[in-house]
Amino acid sequence: MFENILIVVACVVAVYYAVDLVFLRKQQKRPVYQQRLINLLLFLGILTVLVLAVREMTLYLFLQIFLLNIAELCVLILATTGIVLIFKTSVTTNFAQGTIATVGAFTAAKLILWLTANTGYAMPVKLALALVASAMTAFVIGLFVDTVIIRNSRYPNSIGKQMITMGLVLVLLGLMPLLFGLVPLTIEQFSYDGKLINLTDTLILYVPDHNLFAAAVTAAMLVLLFAALRFTKWGLGVRATASSETVAGMMGVNTRLITAMSWAIAGVFGGVAAYLYAPVGSAVTVSFMTPVQVNGFLASVLGGFSTFGGPIVGAILINLFQSIASFYNSVWTNVIVYVLVLLLVLAKPLGLFGKKTAKKV
Amino acid sequence: MTLLSYRAAAAVKRLKAVAKHPYFGFVLFGLVLIAFRLLSLGGLIPNSLMKPLVLTMIYAIVALGFSLLLGYGGLASLGTAGFVGLGSYVIGHFSGTLGYPFLATLAISLVGAVVLGAIVGFISLRIEGMYLAIITLGLSEILKEVFKSFNAFTNGVNGLGFRNFALFGLPVSDFAVDLIVIVVFILLIVGTLNIIKSPTGRALLAMKNSDSAAQSMGIGLMKYRLLAFVLATIYAVIGGMLYMADQKFSIPTTWTLDFSLNILAAVVVGGAQSITGILLGTFMIFGLNMTVLNNIPFFLAYPDATWILNGVLIILVTMFYPGGLIRLLLTVKFRLVKAVNILKKKWRRYRYGEDD
Repeated sequence: MFENILIVVACVVAVYYAVDLVFLRKQQKRPVYQQRLINLLLFLGILTVLVLAVREMTLYLFLQIFLLNIAELCVLILATTGIVLIFKTSVTTNFAQGTIATVGAFTAAKLILWLTANTGYAMPVKLALALVASAMTAFVIGLFVDTVIIRNSRYPNSIGKQMITMGLVLVLLGLMPLLFGLVPLTIEQFSYDGKLINLTDTLILYVPDHNLFAAAVTAAMLVLLFAALRFTKWGLGVRATASSETVAGMMGVNTRLITAMSWAIAGVFGGVAAYLYAPVGSAVTVSFMTPVQVNGFLASVLGGFSTFGGPIVGAILINLFQSIASFYNSVWTNVIVYVLVLLLVLAKPLGLFGKKTAKKV
Repeated sequence: MTLLSYRAAAAVKRLKAVAKHPYFGFVLFGLVLIAFRLLSLGGLIPNSLMKPLVLTMIYAIVALGFSLLLGYGGLASLGTAGFVGLGSYVIGHFSGTLGYPFLATLAISLVGAVVLGAIVGFISLRIEGMYLAIITLGLSEILKEVFKSFNAFTNGVNGLGFRNFALFGLPVSDFAVDLIVIVVFILLIVGTLNIIKSPTGRALLAMKNSDSAAQSMGIGLMKYRLLAFVLATIYAVIGGMLYMADQKFSIPTTWTLDFSLNILAAVVVGGAQSITGILLGTFMIFGLNMTVLNNIPFFLAYPDATWILNGVLIILVTMFYPGGLIRLLLTVKFRLVKAVNILKKKWRRYRYGEDD
């Protein structure tokens, strides 16, 4: 009975989706009730798909897969937040986010090797130092990009800035083998153990320690960022710059400082993300962050660039889709996820939480 | 005697008129390329120079299609790699593995290109600007995953080899492939010139400057966006087919974001609105690496280091010359002409006295 209802709901959503895409979009102005309806239906649709999938794979398995994927989720959230932070202040999509982060991860891995060879620190100390090194490297590169390259460009528009970040990707890709050698490096996890959670006597969930660590770091960084955005002068400046850079400048906000700090902080987010991703993803190679970068972009488009919370929800959704799809079909996982995201974005071109900005002709 | 000189003068005049024709330079370029290929047959030009040139031409074809999108339509797309890959796999699978006649393969690939281009064009009606770049990037990733996983069609991660390429029943040698590439290259340049100067090109340009203004002038957004994407996809698929004919191997790791970024870079570095600029840009990004830099010992040890130059070039060009290198060249030419004129004036003053 319950499943039948869900399937009916899914059908309604699908039919409305098709009708909306083909017919209703032709209307110039969309009434408010229709916007509310499509929001409600999209919510129902996503919920239905999730519930159906979870029922099929049992709640226990779903939770277990989710817990195993927490580290990747955290990485995705951090990377996405960095991308959105830059978009908010500089109105450009930073294609170099992943590559800058990779430089950070390389520095961290090299530092661990150097510390092992030259000092007698315990492993946790070395790893903590490496985390800081990764974040700081990305911080410096981010700062450099904004202050030296973008600020001196003669015609700064958003497409031009985007091109500059693409050029930066190529420069860094070429520089990394020169600086760090051609051998893939590794970053160890703090501990390779895990915690057991007893649901009942027979059902026991397993969480790797690294995932808990990643979750703690991510939560701390997000809380700090949101607190800073909400309560500090810098946060106020970011929000003002995001709504309009010119007006913010006229009101006495130092937009140059705000932009530079945003690039640097986005770099820190990327550096930490790369550091957390290296032990679970693969060895540190020049392109190991590319999948994260692509997913981060899709998450920000899915959530909508206009809010900070939206992209995080987008990242969570993409990760959920991934863990569910990997249960059904491990080969075509990414194709299923990307197609789902594409359909969702077609329904809401500005993202799930996007706001429409008026444009003058 | 006078008649003869009159005729000679008329012939010269006609030649001058031909030389002013917009196709003339490109056709001459094609003839020079063919001559190059013939010379390399005789061993006068090393193969290590000719092979990269042919590959550069293939990339230039893709870049030409992309410039219709970016330079004329103002639509940023990062799906190029997926489309080029599709072209390479279509010819590799249908002509190579299954042995279909070439015309059938061509038809399949064109249908594929039109369908894919229409899908992207349809998406572009809803999603604009930088969002579009990201969504097309997602589409390209979907295609890449398909290339990786659809073993029956693409031979998966091992890559698909391409043997027994035959045109109308005749096997095609390497020399013939190169000639085909050159001819298709020149034909597509001429085609692009025609598109740009036609009402379609003007409509695209109008759309680039302002959607709303173009619409109010009676330009159907839907029609021209779809057209731009279909054209770009057809160019990309043709480029992919030539790539497969030339390289005889296609592997999913080629068709990544880097490839799309490089094509974009070639178009931007050269100058998105000029065909000469695009050819120049493609050579700077792809050709220069393969012909010159790869012979320098430092770059042999670190092959990725050539990317640094590309990246720096992109950054500098976007920072200071958004019109591309071609704009820079035109500026330099303008300055030179000015300087020469001043020198001429000085010479005249010296020769004929102060006041003239």
